[in-house]
Amino acid sequence: MNDVTTDPTIDLDACAAEPIRIPGGIQPHGALMVVDPVTLEVLQASSNLPDVTGLVGGLPEALAAELRDWAASDSPAFMRTMAVGARNLQVSAHRTAQGLIVEFEEPPASGVEARDMLYLRLRQFLEAVGEVDDIPAIAAIAVREVRALTGFDRVLLYSFDAEGVGTVLAENGNEVLPSYLNLRFPAADIPAQARELYKLSRLRLIPDANYEPAPIEPPLSPLDGRPLDLSFAALRSVSPVHLEYMRNMGTGSSMSISILVEGELWGLISGHSRDPRRVDAQVRTACDVLGQILSLQIEAREQAVRTADRLALKNVEAELVAKLSTALNYQTGLGDNAELWKQLARAEGAAVVTEEGVLSVGSAPPEDQIRRIAERLSEMDVTELAIESMAQRWPETEAFAERASGLLAVSISQIHSNWLMWFRPEVIRTVEWAGEPQKQRELGDRLHPRKSFQLWKEQVRLRATPWGQVDVESARSFRSSIQNFVLRRAEERAELTNRLVEINKELESFSYSISHDLRAPFRHVVGFAELLNDRAGERLDPTSRHYLQSITDAALSAGQLVDDLLNFSQLGRAGLKFSRVDVSKLVAEVRRSMEPELEGREIEWRVGALPSAWADPAMIRQVLQNLLHNALKYSAGRNPAIVTIEGEDLSDSTSYTVSDNGVGFDPAYAHKLFGVFQRLHRSEEFEGTGIGLALVKRVIDRHGGTITAHGVVDGGASFTFTLPKRLRAEHPE
Amino acid sequence: MADLRPILLVEDNPRDLELTLAALAKCQLANEIVVARDGAEALDYLNGRNAYADRQPGDPAVVLLDLKLPKVDGLEVLEQVKTNPVQRQIPVVMLTSSREERDLLRSYELGVNAFVVKPVDFNAFFEAIQDLGMFWAILNEPPPRGNGHG
Repeated sequence: MNDVTTDPTIDLDACAAEPIRIPGGIQPHGALMVVDPVTLEVLQASSNLPDVTGLVGGLPEALAAELRDWAASDSPAFMRTMAVGARNLQVSAHRTAQGLIVEFEEPPASGVEARDMLYLRLRQFLEAVGEVDDIPAIAAIAVREVRALTGFDRVLLYSFDAEGVGTVLAENGNEVLPSYLNLRFPAADIPAQARELYKLSRLRLIPDANYEPAPIEPPLSPLDGRPLDLSFAALRSVSPVHLEYMRNMGTGSSMSISILVEGELWGLISGHSRDPRRVDAQVRTACDVLGQILSLQIEAREQAVRTADRLALKNVEAELVAKLSTALNYQTGLGDNAELWKQLARAEGAAVVTEEGVLSVGSAPPEDQIRRIAERLSEMDVTELAIESMAQRWPETEAFAERASGLLAVSISQIHSNWLMWFRPEVIRTVEWAGEPQKQRELGDRLHPRKSFQLWKEQVRLRATPWGQVDVESARSFRSSIQNFVLRRAEERAELTNRLVEINKELESFSYSISHDLRAPFRHVVGFAELLNDRAGERLDPTSRHYLQSITDAALSAGQLVDDLLNFSQLGRAGLKFSRVDVSKLVAEVRRSMEPELEGREIEWRVGALPSAWADPAMIRQVLQNLLHNALKYSAGRNPAIVTIEGEDLSDSTSYTVSDNGVGFDPAYAHKLFGVFQRLHRSEEFEGTGIGLALVKRVIDRHGGTITAHGVVDGGASFTFTLPKRLRAEHPE
Repeated sequence: MADLRPILLVEDNPRDLELTLAALAKCQLANEIVVARDGAEALDYLNGRNAYADRQPGDPAVVLLDLKLPKVDGLEVLEQVKTNPVQRQIPVVMLTSSREERDLLRSYELGVNAFVVKPVDFNAFFEAIQDLGMFWAILNEPPPRGNGHG
């Protein structure tokens, strides 16, 4: 979808109002009659028919016979040079709904010889265009040949851009008329209605711009009561506006041949002479054939160029897609391959807009502006847009027009406002107009065409090189690649998630079977050792009893280790059940539960005010149990042991510190404290499995809190943990 | 005192079996101990079929049931007992190595009467068995049946 940003056109569409197909008259260098297709009865005729043909009344029998034969055949057009009454005339005819239109003109100067000459020229033309590649060179040959065929003072070849502005690509002349090479003609010079007609009827001739039209009589067709449609009549009288245009241009005669490429009016070959000039029907046919050959040649070359471009961009796309396939995500991949990304639409800058943000490379607008562009695109409810001047559509984008004027955007999500964009910078061009287009715009009287064809230079600003169809196609194709990429990534993620769920299940069943099967042997060892002790203990010597006790102790501690490990792994899996926890009460409970172990020890408890916490009470109990247990264990040799528990209410968390006056630890090893199986003391000094603090840290981590440890060798240890305060919105009570 | 009805011990692991029997012996209970080595055998005993087709009628005083069993596992045995209107009043004590919460929850859902995690410490295990044995085998009177007993 190329968005055509046509200026509010200066169309002199006088045309739209002007009935160019039914002018009611013909040019008087020939004569015309309309006959009934069956009876050949004359229905209408131009007023000059007797002057041109000498005919009065009906058709001469010879012509009538030939026309009857042709009318019954399926040959599309009739053309003969034949005697009509006393005169030798070129007779042509075509079918219309209003009857057969028969046109009479003076015959070509000399019959067979001239025809051979035409064929020769056409053949030469074909050979010549076969040897050149680019369109301007072909155009140059075409205008040379047309001038040689017709003898006009100057032959031009225009091509039209998307907006209908014509540029003179080639010119051949004898300097009688001024040169228009490379000049531009505004779209309005050829009104829309004329363009349509030019697509249907490929050749027009005006031998004398100063002619007086010969009216058709009667003006309305007896068959349908409407004015006679002269769309396909060679003699069709042209609009007086056009004649005035010709006279303003200083031309007395003209002929134009349409160049149609893929069904569209690609350009025109147009011949002019200062003076009146006739071009006979055979030469016109030769020019028409030449025009068609030219059309095909241009079409072939344009397709070749497009195919080459398309192929080049496809290669870029393939390379970029390959690079993306190894990227973490496509945004990163694009950013890392900025050159390819830009090349994909032959742009200087590119951007991608997603929920995750804006990423841009090269010559692109500022980020907030890119976001704004995405919003505008979404408001427009389009899925793609290609414009060469953002400033024309959104004036405020003029601020960065120098960096980015042209925008090519494709949507990459049906749900979100996600866009891929390419930017082209402003290209300031000087355009040479044949006459000042703005002046034409200001013309008050629309029925008067422009009078000036004086060279007028215009600077075109705020516009980028227009996007080609291949650029748009490339962007479109890449959109699918990105969408596939996103889909594939989503699938991969889903697969990974499934795999994780699977692994978690395996882990769970692993730890489940450990909890059953690994504990059992230790239980058996302890059990049988006890049984042995029961039966034979008294008979055993002290060393044997010591061995037996060691067996029991070892199995017991191994069993404890399994229990601790299972507890630790379960902590990672169990869901947290948050509530308001009275930490003071919890500390009191934990202290009470420890009392039996503390008999005989002198302990000084210093418990401060403890703020309540937002936490899972069972888990915080485990934390306190472990910390208090450690404090008491490592202060075992102190008399008294001092255990301090303090709390602090911070702005977004609560903090608790447990400290003791025990053996402490070397701060150099503080980082090892919280690892599983990490112990800083020899096991015969202090028993334990090395899991307690790892468990504490895990619980605190799962609460989103922090834990730190401070210690001095022989100077006590202190552990401080914080718990985030409840976020009201997330956990309504 | 009511008739001493047997204790049904369901345990597949021979070492656990030996230790449990030793613990029960220490309690000096007079009840007969019937041992089933898997869930299917336990159900056969309870329903008086197959190998137990000729056994004396009557329900056991208590079933000590291991959780992990071959063929029919402990939870399944428990479920069958507790959904059987005739057997549902038989006390069932789950003995297990597992500290898994889900086993515990599932057992209570199914109507277990007690759940004992076999402690590694044999003395603790002995105490647990002793308590259970005393409570269920001796003190716990079975509810009166329609046709009475004794």
